[in-house]
Amino acid sequence: MTAEAMRDAWYPVGLLSDLRVEGKDSLLLGQKITVYGSKTGAPRVKSDGRNLPVVERFGHLWTSLGTPVKDLFTIPEADHPDRTLVDVGVVRVKCSPLRAVENFLDIAHFPFVHTDILGAESHPEVSEYKVEIRDEVDEVWATKVEFFQPQAAKSAGGGITTEYMYRVPAPTCSVLYKTCPPRPGEWDVIALFVQPLTEDLCDVWPWMALFDDESPITDLIHFQQLIFLQDRSILENQIPKRLPLDPAMETPTRADLTSIAYRRWLKRHNYTFGAQLVAE
Amino acid sequence: MDAETDARWVPVAVSADILDGTVAPARLPRRPIAVWRSASGNIYANGDRCPHRGMRLSHGFVRGETLSCIYHGWRFGTDGACQKIPAHPAVAPPKTINCGALPAMEGNGVIWAAAQTPPDKPADFAGYEALRSLVIAATPDAITHASDGEPIVGATKMRLDGHNAILLMNGLGPDEVFVVVLIEADLSVPDRLSVSAAVERLRRAAETAGNAA
Repeated sequence: MTAEAMRDAWYPVGLLSDLRVEGKDSLLLGQKITVYGSKTGAPRVKSDGRNLPVVERFGHLWTSLGTPVKDLFTIPEADHPDRTLVDVGVVRVKCSPLRAVENFLDIAHFPFVHTDILGAESHPEVSEYKVEIRDEVDEVWATKVEFFQPQAAKSAGGGITTEYMYRVPAPTCSVLYKTCPPRPGEWDVIALFVQPLTEDLCDVWPWMALFDDESPITDLIHFQQLIFLQDRSILENQIPKRLPLDPAMETPTRADLTSIAYRRWLKRHNYTFGAQLVAE
Repeated sequence: MDAETDARWVPVAVSADILDGTVAPARLPRRPIAVWRSASGNIYANGDRCPHRGMRLSHGFVRGETLSCIYHGWRFGTDGACQKIPAHPAVAPPKTINCGALPAMEGNGVIWAAAQTPPDKPADFAGYEALRSLVIAATPDAITHASDGEPIVGATKMRLDGHNAILLMNGLGPDEVFVVVLIEADLSVPDRLSVSAAVERLRRAAETAGNAA
């Protein structure tokens, strides 16, 4: 499987708060890289004796194996000074990086995987929502997504109908905007940054920008880690390992419109590292 | 598809290991399957993959006479047909959505499954019942050889710790065999324990012989 098209995209490779001066070995798209922190200058990422481009953003260090055609995306909403920025850490998952993103875009699993937290079996219905590939920014967007949630966030007191917006600005990154319980009218921002190690192994770096001045950071991290560990039990048990881009391989429904658009967008750009094009 | 090998009964689990209302993973020689027992006690088998997003159905849950996928709750009947898609409660699932029900039967305390419907019933071993199962990392020949066993139709007969035993073998891969141990039904509990320990010794002997060769 060629990874050419994906080489030019940006990927997270570590937390800025947790870089090592002596370097740490890792993988990106199956290639060895070493991530170096610095006491005085900027962090560096090296591969094959070559310095790779780097960007420091959203609490993470980002790099690319190729020549990025555009700057790393931004999340303007996250700049609000009242927000609590949360580096959740890393969860290693034995799955395709693309399957990890697709699962993040899915709400229909909430009642069964995140039972009585993000969903309840008594309220499994997914109502119609809007999905589009926005050509001017080359991103996948899902809007007007609504779902009943028993405990939508650490800051939510009880069950509420939450509104979501999903955005895919890079092949292995997704940003979720959701109803913010303490601040009606604002959105909580939860992002999933995925570092593709190999086609069936990834490091997932969740990151959040929330309006929550009550919960201790540790509780916010524990809440997100609980959710992602529940997702991991699914992601490591899907067959085939790689995300099928052949529509005949799986059976989507109306609730999967975001995933359908994501797969179409991946195919259009030849973002196929971690994908399976034809049935095996 | 290989009709000659697919249309035959394969031992995939011990009946006592799959309780009412539970599902477990098992293997046919070339594919993973989900084996489940309904609330009323009937045994069923199907492909271990939800047609929706490929999740293993052996991680799912059984309610009444149905098996549901743990990912999105898609519910399947005993014929493998999808009965319910919770995200769309008002929509009747198309008949084409099916998780692939497989033939499954029980006898001698053994659960048998097949990739295609066999022409006859599984072999019957009168007076014997399943004691336990285990996976041995060796070839069926190495297991028979290590036990001084005598091949009979569909199985290997042997003495284990002085008791009659029959081994049913399901070759999972080149060096991996799923084994069900049958013993005489009237064997006492202490004797059952000693046969079980003897099977572990047999496993080690067969695996060591394989490594030496």
